[in-house]
Amino acid sequence: MIHFDQVSKRYEGGHEALSSISLHIEKGEMVFLTGHSGAGKSTLLKLITRIEKASSGQLRVNGQILNRLRRSQIPHFRRNLGIVHQDHQLLMDQTVYDNVALPLIIAGEHPKDVTRRVRAALDKVGLLEREKYRPIQLSGGEQQRVGIARAVVKKPAILLADEPTGNLDPGLSRDIMELFSEFNRVGTTVLIASHDLGLIARLNYRVASLQDGKLMSTPFDGRRS
Amino acid sequence: MNTRSATRTPVKKPAQSGANRRRSGTSGNRSAWLRHHRDCASQSLMRLLRSPVSSALTWLVIAISLTLPTLFYLALSSLQAQTEQWQEGGQITLYLEQGLADSEGERLTGELDARPEVARAYYISAEEAWESFQATLSINRQALGLTNNPLPASIVVVPSQQNSSQLEALQLIIRGLPEVEDVQLDLAWIDRLNRFLELIYSIVTGLAVLLGVAVLLVVGNTIRLAIESRKDEIRVIKLLGATEAFVRRPFVYLGIWYGLLGGVAAWVLVTAVAWWLRSPLTAFLSTYGIEANVAWLGFTDTLVLILASIGVSLAGAHIALQRHLKDAEPR
Repeated sequence: MIHFDQVSKRYEGGHEALSSISLHIEKGEMVFLTGHSGAGKSTLLKLITRIEKASSGQLRVNGQILNRLRRSQIPHFRRNLGIVHQDHQLLMDQTVYDNVALPLIIAGEHPKDVTRRVRAALDKVGLLEREKYRPIQLSGGEQQRVGIARAVVKKPAILLADEPTGNLDPGLSRDIMELFSEFNRVGTTVLIASHDLGLIARLNYRVASLQDGKLMSTPFDGRRS
Repeated sequence: MNTRSATRTPVKKPAQSGANRRRSGTSGNRSAWLRHHRDCASQSLMRLLRSPVSSALTWLVIAISLTLPTLFYLALSSLQAQTEQWQEGGQITLYLEQGLADSEGERLTGELDARPEVARAYYISAEEAWESFQATLSINRQALGLTNNPLPASIVVVPSQQNSSQLEALQLIIRGLPEVEDVQLDLAWIDRLNRFLELIYSIVTGLAVLLGVAVLLVVGNTIRLAIESRKDEIRVIKLLGATEAFVRRPFVYLGIWYGLLGGVAAWVLVTAVAWWLRSPLTAFLSTYGIEANVAWLGFTDTLVLILASIGVSLAGAHIALQRHLKDAEPR
């Protein structure tokens, strides 16, 4: 589903954020990406979401070779990704419902489907009764769950999360990770960047570790046992 | 159809999800597209009305910028309507030689009438001239003690164009005609008036272009600020798969609304000013014996004004989007 082949990313000025990464994540897998801040986790996710373009090597996501993606194709490619941000990136002047509906509106779904699917996604993250609230009226954990609802409302093939528990206390973090596991169980490919090693260790998933832009180890490389 | 999809599937790998999306149909896509246009139009308007003071500033600037050239245009078209009446005064009277046969005179009139620079030419025979002379003075030939008609036959020529060079050419031709005894014409003042109007017209056009650029800049700047204030939102929706057109649409509609409101406000201003100036202007002109008609903006003119306002605003929005949307790429 996500295939890095000798992928490097050099920024202007010569800084090499990622060097020669080879990482293969199969369909239906759930993988954690760890490493110190500055190790290249965010850059790696930006390559997958095609915010950044790889300097060399080949990156294939959901069957598409990203280096060959034309500018006009990027939006349609992104619609198959669900992205969860550390700071959830909700639109503060819109309701929870409108925030979650956004990916469906962008994809031009019929209003009837939009309502049904937004409710289903909010139900999944346990915030159905909050749909008319504004994000500012919610707690940090709830805001993150709205962010997750928005990421999964279109049932994307791939779910990416960048430090989704970065601002949350341990109890809430466990709940959030449990949510990701649930989506993975129904077949979504999940990649989570996190530096919360304690939490990751308790969960039994493959871990890819980045250090100074290089991939250090992928214990039990391959499919989840 | 079948062969096409059969050859396509092996080439494109993500055919599964792609096909699913396509199955929702072009008609579905079109209605989604229309829906988004409708939503953008109404949401942009709501956004504009939610901050009435700052948006009013923008469309008032548009309105004032458009009012000035429109007023000049209005004055000019009133003046032109007036001069069209006066152009009858630009007629040329050719007095023909005494004793020239009516048939000759009529032939000459026909020839002149056929010329492109002549709007119309009519023949006044000596007899007709005499009759109208008598009618005007309410006397008859006998009372004047005349046995013969002393008046010559004449041809009245109304030039089709009041353009000075064409008039001069026509004048030369007429003077060269052997049957013509005398030519009476008064064209110099029309020439001067026309040159003056041409000058004013150039000034108004220049002014309109300048103020049009002002509108462009004002709307461009307003849209730039709107983009600036919604940068984070643009980043988010781009990451959620919004196309360029989807991102631009609300701002395009914002431009349309500004143009529409500015255009309508300009119409109101123009009409108000015309109403305000109507009686003093009429009074002033009547002292010169001119019965002036202060023109109002007609339906077509109003439509042109509003469409021009929308067009210029759209161009402003387009420029702003072209220049500033790039800054809102997701990070």
